[in-house]
Amino acid sequence: MSSPFEFTSENQERFQQILARYPNKRAAMLPTLHLAHEQQGHITPEVEEVVAELLEVPLVDVHEVLTFYTLYFRQPMGRHHLRLCMSISCWLRGSDRIKEHLKNKMGVESGAITEDGSFSWEAVPDCLGACEMAPMMQVDEDYHGPLTPDGVDHILEATEQGQEITTAPPPASTTSKALPIQLISEHFGNSQARELDWYRKQGGYEGAQKAFEMQPGEITDMVIHANLRGLGGAGFPTGRKWSFVPQDTGKAIYLTANADESEPGTFKDRYIMEWDPHRLLEGIIICAYAVGIHTTYIYIRGEYVRAAQILQKAIEEAYREGVLGERVLGKDFQLDVHLHRGAGAYICGEETGLLESLEGKKGWPRLKPPFPAIVGLFGCPTVINNVETLSQLPKLLLKGAEWFAGIACSHHGGTRLFALSGCIKRPGVYELPLGASLRELIYEHGGGILDDKKLKAVIPGGASAAILTEEEIDVSLDFDSLMKAGSMLGSGAVIVMDEDVCMVRACQNIMRFFAHESCGQCTPCREGTAWVYQILTRIAEGSGTPEDIDNLAELADNMSGTSICALSDGAAMSFRSYVKKFRSEFEYHILHKKCDLEEKKTTVDA
Amino acid sequence: MPNLEINGQNIEVDTGISVLQAAEKLDIHVPRYCYHPGLSVAGSCRMCMVEIEKMPKLAISCHTQAQDGMKVNTESEQVKQARKSMLEFLLINHPLDCPVCDQSGECDLQNYYMEVGQYDSRFLEDKIKRKKAVPIGPHVILDQERCILCTRCTRFCDEVSHSNELGVFNRGNRSVIDLAPTKTLDNPYSGNVIDICPVGALTEREFRFQCRVWYLSTRESICNGCSRGCNISIHYNTSLSYKAGGKRVQRLKPRLNPHVNRWWMCDEGRFGYEFIDHNRIESPQLRAAQGKLQTSDWKQVLQEVSTGLKTTLGQFGPEGIGVIASGQLSNEELYLIRKIFAESMGVQEIGYRNPWEEEGFQDDFLIRGDKNPNSRGAEELGLKSDVRKILEKAASGEIKILYIFQHNFESPEAQEMLGQAEYVIFQGTNWNKTVEVANAVLPGATYAEKDGTFTNFEGRLQRFQQALLPLSESKSDIEILRTLAQKLEYPLAYLDAEEIFKEWRGRTYQELEEFGELLNGQKP
Repeated sequence: MSSPFEFTSENQERFQQILARYPNKRAAMLPTLHLAHEQQGHITPEVEEVVAELLEVPLVDVHEVLTFYTLYFRQPMGRHHLRLCMSISCWLRGSDRIKEHLKNKMGVESGAITEDGSFSWEAVPDCLGACEMAPMMQVDEDYHGPLTPDGVDHILEATEQGQEITTAPPPASTTSKALPIQLISEHFGNSQARELDWYRKQGGYEGAQKAFEMQPGEITDMVIHANLRGLGGAGFPTGRKWSFVPQDTGKAIYLTANADESEPGTFKDRYIMEWDPHRLLEGIIICAYAVGIHTTYIYIRGEYVRAAQILQKAIEEAYREGVLGERVLGKDFQLDVHLHRGAGAYICGEETGLLESLEGKKGWPRLKPPFPAIVGLFGCPTVINNVETLSQLPKLLLKGAEWFAGIACSHHGGTRLFALSGCIKRPGVYELPLGASLRELIYEHGGGILDDKKLKAVIPGGASAAILTEEEIDVSLDFDSLMKAGSMLGSGAVIVMDEDVCMVRACQNIMRFFAHESCGQCTPCREGTAWVYQILTRIAEGSGTPEDIDNLAELADNMSGTSICALSDGAAMSFRSYVKKFRSEFEYHILHKKCDLEEKKTTVDA
Repeated sequence: MPNLEINGQNIEVDTGISVLQAAEKLDIHVPRYCYHPGLSVAGSCRMCMVEIEKMPKLAISCHTQAQDGMKVNTESEQVKQARKSMLEFLLINHPLDCPVCDQSGECDLQNYYMEVGQYDSRFLEDKIKRKKAVPIGPHVILDQERCILCTRCTRFCDEVSHSNELGVFNRGNRSVIDLAPTKTLDNPYSGNVIDICPVGALTEREFRFQCRVWYLSTRESICNGCSRGCNISIHYNTSLSYKAGGKRVQRLKPRLNPHVNRWWMCDEGRFGYEFIDHNRIESPQLRAAQGKLQTSDWKQVLQEVSTGLKTTLGQFGPEGIGVIASGQLSNEELYLIRKIFAESMGVQEIGYRNPWEEEGFQDDFLIRGDKNPNSRGAEELGLKSDVRKILEKAASGEIKILYIFQHNFESPEAQEMLGQAEYVIFQGTNWNKTVEVANAVLPGATYAEKDGTFTNFEGRLQRFQQALLPLSESKSDIEILRTLAQKLEYPLAYLDAEEIFKEWRGRTYQELEEFGELLNGQKP
């Protein structure tokens, strides 16, 4: 039944405000669809036509966006919607058992609505960024975990009754007393830090003040000397990235803060945004002043609803108090910061995928060169920095490059947040100096393996990183050491696997993620990720062939260095390492058509 | 002007061109799917990867700018392996449709497969099922299973036709190309997506299952649909008469002309070839005393026509003759008409433009409102008399013999005037309203059946070549006029169109520039 769509008068107001944030109408695509989704509950063909008209874009462009991202419903859903995370860290903590339970409780399969319309649910292969509370699920706008069958029942009941959910809140941060430094994690667990006044009293915004006393070029030099490297995954030297931006093009220069955090196992940016949003804003101010930026967009993944709300409040407070806006901190410097919510796509964490999404299109990464520093957002020079990278800046400015560089035990400066999850006693976020020991992180700070089992394997830097066997964990957690070990520091997500984990299924889980998230633009990634997932599924379920193993190795080579962006390379690095280092498990599955750990771990499928 | 080396050969190129384009200048073909010179660079198929010295990875040549001092290898082992693997990726979900796919024989998956195909597939999974053989517009059928997502078609609809019907939906290997909701692929240039689709995902409805492409011959020609003069190829089959119900012309395709139509042509022109094999006047006709047209033969008809002209000339002078030529005729034919009627006979009233023919649809791309390919040619050759006046004179009896070429005078006004005319000769290709009131009918040949040149609306002289023999008993207009001239005792020295062209322009067809030349001698 087609019913015409119109924004309510209140939403029309909000739509105008949305438009004002961008230099062209198309860029308002995602926020406008979110607004319509909020009003209507789902996007209908009539909504698409109205949006196309309002944004003055062809209808096909709206439809491409709608079908590319996962958060927009196209049919009415239940009164409450659940997303159960099936990604690697949750899988390691029993998400499949929760899935079974949910299926029985709901009475319908994943992707369906209960008969009475109260709930709809889906088991999703993409990491929701809350691995410290694995296994977890998102209920409407909130995250809940660690889940038990009873806990799930309570959540469902309470949600339906509109009551408060009383399961234990997630552990804020795990600030082990053994940690020598708490620089950017100093306020984790303390909700007062969300208040501007309190933040200031603790020395907040002094780094930015210090920056304004320097020349922009001096700041960039300082950041270069501090050896700060990108903490989102790629690890590019931050100061050097800033130095690429030409100052003489006559065009505006933009900053986009990459808050798309979607690498499986990663949840540290969420911590920063939920506990210490002003630190991020302060870092943004410092970067903006250094590079000559007056407009910043924080691109935050759509699933992080609470974090977005907290950030939005902090931004509004900052404007009220003159920390953002026409005269930042009273200085002759104007800076606008806008929050821009994504709509469910890991590839929008890739620099140019992010830019395409911000410009209102599907998140297809661009060909490089040109690089964003030269041609970025809206064709203008653009810096893209990860949330954590930016959050390092306040302390760096205050205490100086030498101090920062000196903290680390390696060539690369400073500390970083490690998101520890999986079969570990104390999952959570840990701040350590770069170059700290992986073994120390796991056993000292993380408390060792859950149930005191034996360690079998570790992913040191997010799903895209090559896996390390337990013989390889005496490695320093820094960019160079991990690269030398054939893996990478990546997003700092450390995922631990114990002796009962089937590596074939773990690999299958990882590739399920990549196949789901591949944008589909280029041949090797689009076809390769899905094919590899199919092969792994066949092996896992007992119909593998001996040729599969060598084929996988060759496919990894065909998927490396041949694609538009690094998703394919990451996927290849990852599954290549499982097949190489745990070959015997793959061979067992193929030969015996079952898992030698069958009794202990169950199926993956999401 | 960078100087680079490709496969050991040196070449200097303009700044800004890609390595792939530089290779083309050396006649080195780099395999590609998504790259098309008329569209933006997508860089997504990854088929055109080449080895460039000092670059750590293979680079896509469509997007890499040719730089001074570059050393490129398009045939190294690494490159061949990359091509092989990309092709393998594209084929894993590709349906085994070759036996039933129209693209077979001109398919880039097949073609590159012969070079770098794997032969033994190692794909053991189930292929993805998608929409199959769905008409998405009046002329185009979509097969999503065959699609390799090169996005040429979506980029065409965005950048060339500006009609935005097609898009890529979903993500990953669930990506599909399809129509936007509520849309149909019915823009005036929809057929071009068939040309640019490298595989059988977008195919021509009219051509579906008609003829295998290896039975087709091609000939370079010029579209006769309007005064743009898009360069085309006529694809025809005359060897196997049982194919496609005996149709000779199977399809028309555009040819590259950077100054006229680039790589494109409109649907009206592309699908407007039916008249060549349909509804043709296949033998000369004479109207009997009882008023009905009867099939005759060339000898008889030419005898009657020439006698009539000679007599009229003798009795009433050239004022007794009126000629209505046509913008459908070639320059050579019009030149001959002028030679015979104006110069030899002294006829003044020679026109070409049908005043009742309204300007058709015109856009700011290729389509011109004047639906004749050679109005400019007729204009330049001076055949400018007012056709309405000629018809009026014929109706009043001042003009005794009216010689009409090709026109379809269907307006009631024209029909009435023609009805009153004493003697009407019609020389043309298809049955129409003028034929119904003609006294003598001389079946002519279509542009596909003769050589010649057209002058397009901006004065560009372009050559078209004969693909087919005139159907049945029809003859080329030059042959008819030549024979007529003989009977009228104005023997002409020309044997064919090229000789006429040589006399008119002073050069041979060979000397005509590749993309046509402007009449006033200006370079584009």
